[in-house]
Amino acid sequence: MTAELHARAEQLIAQERIEAISRAEREWLSAHLQECARCTELARQTDQALRSMHTAAIPFPSGLGSRTQFRVRLRAQELREREPRHRLMWITCGLSWALGVATAPYVWRIFEWVGQHTGAPKILLQLSFGLWWAIPALIAGAVMLIENARQANASGWQEQDR
Amino acid sequence: MPGPTLFFSTLMSDEAKSIARGLQKRDPDLLDRLIEQYQYRLFRYLVYISGNKERAEDFFQETWIRVLERGHQYDGKSKFEAWLFAIARHLVIDWQRSKKPQSLDSLTDPEQDHPLQVANENEPSPLHRVLTREREENVQFSLETIPAIYREVLVLRFQEELQIEEMAGVLSIPVSTVKSRLYRGLNALRGALQGGPA
Repeated sequence: MTAELHARAEQLIAQERIEAISRAEREWLSAHLQECARCTELARQTDQALRSMHTAAIPFPSGLGSRTQFRVRLRAQELREREPRHRLMWITCGLSWALGVATAPYVWRIFEWVGQHTGAPKILLQLSFGLWWAIPALIAGAVMLIENARQANASGWQEQDR
Repeated sequence: MPGPTLFFSTLMSDEAKSIARGLQKRDPDLLDRLIEQYQYRLFRYLVYISGNKERAEDFFQETWIRVLERGHQYDGKSKFEAWLFAIARHLVIDWQRSKKPQSLDSLTDPEQDHPLQVANENEPSPLHRVLTREREENVQFSLETIPAIYREVLVLRFQEELQIEEMAGVLSIPVSTVKSRLYRGLNALRGALQGGPA
């Protein structure tokens, strides 16, 4: 038997276990295995290896499940407590934005008036006006960053434990 | 026979959707049930990819915290376990990246010089310590000698029985890459069993 035949059988043995092989290929492989002890042994070893992997026993640490359930429940409670605060923050941002839009013409007049009295350049007034509009978004962003940093600190278990 | 197949696939998809709904609501009872249901499989997967039992315990807890926090991202269209393993894997890779500053591509590309070797610190073969304690079969021991990137696909396919497409989702790689890693992994396992180089 040539090396190519063994190589083909080896390839089909793997393919059969990973994907699928055609009927013709299966028939060829089966005929080959009947004649070739080496490839039969390879197929047997492969099956044995995969079977053993399937039944591999890694004992589950006692108490890990309940410890995890406890931690998850605590975290869920923490998140639930934070929810109203988040909602309040978003409502406040939305309201402040709506008020900003509604009062924009009046505020711009105030900026103009200040500009006339101080002689500040128009670009500075426009920038200040833009900044005034962006304040709610900036505050919301800052609050979220602080919140995220706090969350990262809370789950800094990796650094603490190692 | 499409009848039973269709029945089971509808049943599974219903279950996945009900899990997705529960996770949206951060239902603590559902999470308790999921932790119990998947604890052995998740822990085994984490031991194999992190190569260290103590670290796997930490990853195990953190994975479930992430499931709680990011539960709204699970849409119920795929199997829950595939999503769960993907979260666990990302945690291990994030940790690995924080330990060794490398690009994610170099960690996950099997053609690179340093494939995903999450257990490869200065410690002498941590998986060895885990497995020698519980070595019942030669195969488990042989798995130790296989690069983690191949060990991982073997575990997902032959222990967790994920489909190749689901594995591609977990590993964020194309189906063709999953297949090629499986072939190489199987070869490596056979090589290791025969005492040859993995």
